Amino acid sequence: MPDRTVDPTGDIPNIPRAASGEPRATASGFGRVIVALYAVMAVAAVSRSAVQIATRFSEAPIAYSLSAFAAVVYVLATFGLARRGPTARRLATVACTVELVGVLTVGTFTVAVPSDFPDETVWSLYGFGYVFIPLVLPVVGLWWLRRTRGGTGSAG
Amino acid sequence: MVALVVGGLVVFVLGGVLAAMGRTPGDGVLVLSALLELLVLVQVVWAAAALVRGDRPAELLVFVLYLLGTVVVMPLVVFWSLAERTRWGHLVVAIGGLTVMAMVARLWQMWQAHRA
Repeated sequence: MPDRTVDPTGDIPNIPRAASGEPRATASGFGRVIVALYAVMAVAAVSRSAVQIATRFSEAPIAYSLSAFAAVVYVLATFGLARRGPTARRLATVACTVELVGVLTVGTFTVAVPSDFPDETVWSLYGFGYVFIPLVLPVVGLWWLRRTRGGTGSAG
Repeated sequence: MVALVVGGLVVFVLGGVLAAMGRTPGDGVLVLSALLELLVLVQVVWAAAALVRGDRPAELLVFVLYLLGTVVVMPLVVFWSLAERTRWGHLVVAIGGLTVMAMVARLWQMWQAHRA
């Protein structure tokens, strides 16, 4: 952990920018792993929902619309985390939050009333079909966004 | 197919171990990823030949999408891990291996279902 005492003589090289109160890039270091996971989920969700909507949308319009919605959320989260700046950070935060709410809601629904919900979205059964990555990822993402936020948090 | 699953597993485990050791990605990862990609390409050729012969799984579109997906995973992963050389790059490659493994397993499933 970097020592937070300020050196009055001037700049200290090689100290992460977060230590000086500025936000760090979310796609750096461990963040690259998170972005990679989000990208995989984004591609998986987009292709799955594209196939569902193109071939059999009328069978389960709600579940498939939800699939498409989840796909969009993953794409937005990936971009938000991969890019720099306060707008990207805000986008990523919203996307991760929506994702967490989504996986919890859909997960609970699919456990409570499985008959009403064909097992067809990435969020079904809390993401069971994707080794629960959809459940863990938003938590890790939000934690990472918080960690890289920097000192004052004013950069939202 | 078995070779591919094992290959994916090897990349996953080795990537994880190298990341844990704190090593930065270098030639080793590149060679390993290239080998896995080679296996993937062999599978694509094999599957394409089967499809052309008229041996087709029910969900042909999904099958082809998965097939194309397996081809792009490792190149993207290697690009992403070499763009910033930290030990996390190894973990990214490990995820790539895991992804290929999962996709091959799913392809295998579709193929078996079609055979049954």
